[in-house]
Amino acid sequence: MEKIYEIYIKTTPERLWEAITTPELRAKYSFGVVVTSDFTPNSTFEGRSPNAPIILTQGVNLEVDPPRKLVQSFNALWSDDVKKEPTSRVTWEIEQVADSCQLTVTHELRDGANSELYGGWPMILSGLKTLLETGELLTTPGSLRYVPT
Amino acid sequence: MDAIFRALADPTRRSLLDALFEEDGQTLGALEGRLAMSRFGVMKHLRILEEAGLVVTRRRGREKLHFINPVPIRLVHDRWVSKFSEPWVAGLSDLKRTLEGNDDGKNL
Repeated sequence: MEKIYEIYIKTTPERLWEAITTPELRAKYSFGVVVTSDFTPNSTFEGRSPNAPIILTQGVNLEVDPPRKLVQSFNALWSDDVKKEPTSRVTWEIEQVADSCQLTVTHELRDGANSELYGGWPMILSGLKTLLETGELLTTPGSLRYVPT
Repeated sequence: MDAIFRALADPTRRSLLDALFEEDGQTLGALEGRLAMSRFGVMKHLRILEEAGLVVTRRRGREKLHFINPVPIRLVHDRWVSKFSEPWVAGLSDLKRTLEGNDDGKNL
């Protein structure tokens, strides 16, 4: 199955790309998870909790076309349940629309996949919009789950 | 944000979102089968949902599939919930510290 998430953010494609691929920025709106990678084609990425020596997410950057498109394979590793899921695929697409960008995240999963795999996207994208448009962080319960303690 | 509330203020449109929440990526024909309504009526409601950003469509071969986009609803949530819940979250975490006995401050 496929899940599609769309959001408009008042920013440039370059700043949006930077916010997606820079670990310190990404952590500000992705539950505090630090995602590191050199974002070259076929490189790997890893998402870690800053509080514990465990890997939470992992995958390969299948297609890297800054500042327009990023296709990644995705493995969730934060619980035994999600570890059972097969590798899924996440596509980030950035399109400039007047003074804003339309960001679309498409997550391709197996039919009936665990909703934990994709349930976080709305909060992540809302936090990304807040960060780029106001420079502030979301304080919604749960949004800072892995922020350094 | 007006468009989101307007789109959600109709029971038929909410049931269309329910149908997509249950099974994402449906055709107009499949959605029509779930509602006692003309094809034209369903199309009209889907267009309003699409204009509000709550439904996005993708072409797959000859079919046009409809997907629920919950992001705008999250924006509504985050606009108010964070602000109003913050004192509660802070209060509860103080309570937790006090009850668990590792609070070193005396200012509670």
